[in-house]
Amino acid sequence: MDKPRTDEDQALVARAQAGDAAAFDDLVVKYSPRLYGLIYNMTSNHEDTNDMLQDVFAKAYRAIKGFRGKSSFYTWIHTIAVNMTLNFLKKRGRRYHLSLDDVDASIQNDKEFIELTSTSSPVREADLSELQRRLNESMMKLSEEHRAVVAMFHIQGMPHAEISKILGVSEGTVRSRLFYANRQLQNYLDEFRKNPVG
Amino acid sequence: MDNFDDDEIGKLLRLKKFEQPPPGYFENFLHEFHRRQRNELLREPLWSVMWQRLSESFFRLSIPSLTSYPAAVAAVLVCAAVVSLKIYQAPQPDGYAVNIETAAPVATLPVDDFTLSSPVTLATRSLGPDLSRQIDESAYTHRAQTPPRYVLDRLPVSYEPSFNF
Repeated sequence: MDKPRTDEDQALVARAQAGDAAAFDDLVVKYSPRLYGLIYNMTSNHEDTNDMLQDVFAKAYRAIKGFRGKSSFYTWIHTIAVNMTLNFLKKRGRRYHLSLDDVDASIQNDKEFIELTSTSSPVREADLSELQRRLNESMMKLSEEHRAVVAMFHIQGMPHAEISKILGVSEGTVRSRLFYANRQLQNYLDEFRKNPVG
Repeated sequence: MDNFDDDEIGKLLRLKKFEQPPPGYFENFLHEFHRRQRNELLREPLWSVMWQRLSESFFRLSIPSLTSYPAAVAAVLVCAAVVSLKIYQAPQPDGYAVNIETAAPVATLPVDDFTLSSPVTLATRSLGPDLSRQIDESAYTHRAQTPPRYVLDRLPVSYEPSFNF
C-alpha cells in the first residue's frame, strides 16, 4: 500500500491547525479506509472497529494543534490508532466475537487470489473461505503486539522502518515479532489442515 | 501434503484486505464523526467549552511567544515590588489623636488655678487621652457645628436660692 504524499498532508494539517474543519474532514476521508483495515485486523470485529476509528479521529482532532510535524501525519495518526487499539484490546481481553467474514467480491479479480486458488498448494486443497475463517481465528490467538505487526506488514503493506516508528521499537524487534508471528500462524493453519474438523 | 510456507501465509493474509465494511460505510463515516463531535460538545460542561475557547484565542494571539524569559522575569519583579511596597508600608497613625491635638488644642490649667471666677469646664481641663478621644469623636458628628455643652451648665451648684444682695 502506497504511503500518501506527505506534502499534501502537511498542507491539510496546517489548515486544520488554523481552524479549518474542512481540511480535517479531508484527512478523515483520506485515512479512514486505511485505518479501518488496520484496526479491523487487530480487533476482528466491525462494531469495535467503527467505535475505535471514531475515537481515533476524535483524539486526533483534539490533538492536531499540538502536532509539531516531527513525524509525518501518516505515522502520527497510525501511532494514535495502534496505541488506542492496543489499549482497547488489553481492556477487552479475550471477550470478542469475529465479524465481517464477508469478503469483498473484487477478490475474484485479485492476482494473488487467482494464483493461490489455481496453482497446486495447500490453500487449493482447503476451502478458501474456511481457511480465511481459520486464519482470522489464528490471528486472534496471537498476542496484541504480534497481531499489530502482522496487520501492518502483511495486510497494510508497511515497510519495517515505518512499523518501527509507529510502534516505537527497533526494526530488529519488528522483524523478530514478525518471524515469531509467522511461525505461530503456520502452526495453527497446519493444525487445521491436518485436522479440519477441529 | 505440503505445509504452509511464509509466502503462502503472506498471500493469505494479504487477501484479508478484501474484508471490507458494508457498502456505503465510508460515505457515512464522516457524517457519523460530525454527529459524535456535536454530541460530545453538548455533553461538555460550559466552563470547559469556555476554557477551550479562551485557550484557543490565547494561542491564536500567539501570547505564548511573548512570554519569553526576560518578559517573565520583568513581570515577576514588578509583582514582587508591588507586594513588598504593600507589606513594608508604615502603618497609619491614629488619625483621631492627631486631629484633636492639631485641630482643637486644649488649654490645660493646673489644679491650683481653680477659682470660682474662672469655672473650669471640661473643655478647659486636661482630660487625658481617653476622654479627649471621645470629644474628638463627637467632633465628627452632627454636634460638631453646635457650641459645646458643659456638664456644669446643666447641673445647679446648689439647690438653695441664690442670695440677692
